[in-house]
Order: sequence, then C-alpha cells, then structure tokens
Amino acid sequence: MRQRRTEKWIGALALVPALLALGCADRTLSRSGYAGVELDPPAPKPEFVLTDTQGAPFDFRARTAGYVTLLFFGYTHCPDVCPVHMANLGAVLNRLPDEISRQVRVVFVTTDPARDTPERLSTWLAQFDADFIGLTGSPQEVERAQVAAGVAPARPDSTGGADYAVGHAAQVMAYTPDGVGRVVYPSGTRQVDWAHDIPLLARAGGGS
Amino acid sequence: MTWWCSATGEAWTWTWRTYPGVWLLVALLALGYWRLTRRRPAEDRDPGRAWVGWIGVLVIWVMLDWPVGTLGAGYLVSVHAAQFLILAFITPPLLLLGVPAGRWAGLARRLDRGGALPAILKVATHPVVAGVTFNLVVLVTHVPSVVDRLMAQQLGAFAVDFAWILVGILFWWPVVAPVPPRRGGIPGSILYLFLATVIHTALGMWLLLSRYPVYGVYELAPPIEGRSAMADQAMAGGLMELVGGMLIIGAIAVLFFRWAAMEEQRP
Repeated sequence: MRQRRTEKWIGALALVPALLALGCADRTLSRSGYAGVELDPPAPKPEFVLTDTQGAPFDFRARTAGYVTLLFFGYTHCPDVCPVHMANLGAVLNRLPDEISRQVRVVFVTTDPARDTPERLSTWLAQFDADFIGLTGSPQEVERAQVAAGVAPARPDSTGGADYAVGHAAQVMAYTPDGVGRVVYPSGTRQVDWAHDIPLLARAGGGS
Repeated sequence: MTWWCSATGEAWTWTWRTYPGVWLLVALLALGYWRLTRRRPAEDRDPGRAWVGWIGVLVIWVMLDWPVGTLGAGYLVSVHAAQFLILAFITPPLLLLGVPAGRWAGLARRLDRGGALPAILKVATHPVVAGVTFNLVVLVTHVPSVVDRLMAQQLGAFAVDFAWILVGILFWWPVVAPVPPRRGGIPGSILYLFLATVIHTALGMWLLLSRYPVYGVYELAPPIEGRSAMADQAMAGGLMELVGGMLIIGAIAVLFFRWAAMEEQRP
C-alpha cells in the first residue's frame, strides 16, 4: 500500500518536467520542417559589393559561396530587434557543434552608415560573435543591397533628432550552401528555432 | 492606460513609469493592515510585531512597482525569479507575523462558531491543501507558454503577481498562523516546509540546465546592456535554487531551534 502511494508521488513529480516541456513545445514547422518561414518559391542569393569593417571590398555572393549565409539589415543603435537577433544567433552558434557552426556566415549590413562607422560596427558585432561580418557602404549602395535581397529599404525617422531610429526590415534571410534563399526568420525567432534550423540549412542544397 | 507592469517590447530606460493598479493594491493592503492593527488594547500592542507587517507591505510595493516590477515583468527573468521568491516566500510570513495576537484569538473564536467562511478557511489552510495549491500555482505560473502569454498582458501579469502573494499567504499559514490549531506541531511544520521545496528546486534546476532560454518574453525582450538571455536565465535558476533553498532552510532552522527550546523547557 505504502509502496503504491510512493509510486503515485513519484509519478506526480515526473509530471513536472513533462508539463514544463509541454509548455515549451508550441512551435509549428514549415512544409520542409523549418521553424522559420519557408520561401515559396525560393529566392536567389543577391549580388552586391559593400565594404567590410577592415575597409576592404566584400563581394557578398562570392565570399559567402558554399556557406549557410544569414543576412540581416540593421543598425547598431537599434534598441530591440537587431541586438536580439544577433545575440540569439551568437548564442546558438556558440552551442552548436563546430562542424555545423563552421558552415555558417552571419552578415550584418548597416542601414545607418552615417553613425555605424567600421570601428563601431566591428565592436558592436564582436560582443555577439567575433566572426560575424559587418558591412557598410554609401546610403545608395546599402539601399541597392536591400533591394537586391528583396527587402524594403530602411528609412531613418527624421523626427528623432540626433538620436534617430531607423525603420528597417526585421527578418534574417537564410541562404543554403547552394546559394538559394529558402527561409526567412522574422523578429521573434527564438534560439531554439535557430538551433533546430541551422543544421537543416547546412544539410539543404548540397551542404555536408 | 498602463495600470500594471507587463512586457511591452519597448527598450528599457530608467525613466519612471506609473502603475496605478500597483498603488491601488498596496493601498488596499495597507488599509486592511491598518484596520487590523489600529486601536488594539494595551496588552495586544506590540510595536515590533506591527513593524514586521508594515515591512511586508512595503516590500510588496517595492517588488510590484517601477523599476523592479517593470524589469521583472518584461525584461529580466532573474528579476522575475527574485520577485517570485520575495512575494511568495518572504512577504507572506511577514504579513502573517505582523497580525496582532488578539486578532488571531478573535479569528479562533469565529472558527469555533462555525459557518461557511470559517469552514472554507479551515480547509484552505490545511497543510495538504495549502501545500498542494501553492506548488500547483508555482508550477503553472512557470510553464513557458503560460508565462509568455500572461506576462505580455497587464491583466495576466497582475494575475501572476497576485496569485503568488495569495498562495504564499496560504502556504505560510499552517507554519506561521496560530489558528486553526494543527496536530503536527513544529515537527509537522518542518516536514511541510521540506516537502514544499521540491517544486521550486526542480524549477531552479530546470532553468539552470536548459540549453536555451525557455521564456520567449525574456529572450526576445529589448536587451539590457551586458546581460545575455542565457546568463539571465542561469541567474534566475541560481536564485531559485540557492536563495529559495536558503529561505526554506532558514525557516526550518528557526522552527527547529524553537522546538528544541520548547523541548528543553519541558519538565
């Protein structure tokens, strides 16, 4: 009798992690099993050349060929979406196995080249991951890159004075190693979603 | 209108924010407490005891209002965990200890007279009912999907804060309140407190061991300089484990020494 009661208590306690796990599992997956939003039809990887934080030209398509490429347009004074995306990507890449994270390139293009100097961009990105690539250019070059990537060009909010905000696309575009854009990750993408999808992206389109 | 702290998605600033709902709740609590303690006969006046209760009210105010309430509702899960520990483990015994002895005697007489309310109070404060209710509420208010939904709304965040205070009072009642009398005595209270540590210890471990942030509301909140979501979560887990454990062990130690002193005095 006592043993049965003990078993009941242990069974009840086992419900604790089960209930918590159930509370975590409210993610829906796309047709191909991605947590992100799958593009239908897929988009080609854009072609543009900008300047990296060392001041050297960076041919986006050529320099990221063969890698899972995560492209984001944002700015370092952004109070919310940009640091959250970058922090989540940095945290996940740091935890994924080396053979996966080695296949990933994160490219951050500033939409605020006036304030985001190469030094500032480099320092800001390094707090998330020293391997993140920061790109800048003239406002026209940055706008052309956004158009090439198929996102709405960013617009500074002129009412904010010197501490102005910049309205920009909030999604990260993901390109598989074959150079095809398959999935986008909107604002609100969680670390657990990235951890689920990055290995899938690495395997898709000819990745190892 | 913003009447209670909730997750807003706005960047954190040190600009003062007002929450009339918090002020109203604290005012009602203070009014109720003042009515309990005012105009007591000389033999029932214990300024030290009254201060304990007033400190409880003050701590509740600090925990719910800006900046602690704002940070805990929508920015840092570690502050949310600290709020939980303080609202559920520290303020309820302070409020109960602050009630004058004469008021307890009056309540005991009402319980003896019977009726629906005394019967409900007797059942609700029974250790099994109080312990199970407390742990169930603690568990449910830490389930990620529940937290993410509730903390994003003012009513939901209010429900969480209020539930913690309410079940905290319920939980500590059998240990601190002298009525209704319990059969288990101090050893029973020690066992009760020990069993009560299971859920929040498990929650703390789960937060510490989770590979990724479990609460979207805190993971996706505008970041506060120098704090990553995982470091924040680890801090929350550590607080639940260490501080939560220390509070319960401290309470058990107080009860144990009181019991030992009583045993020594026994002829």
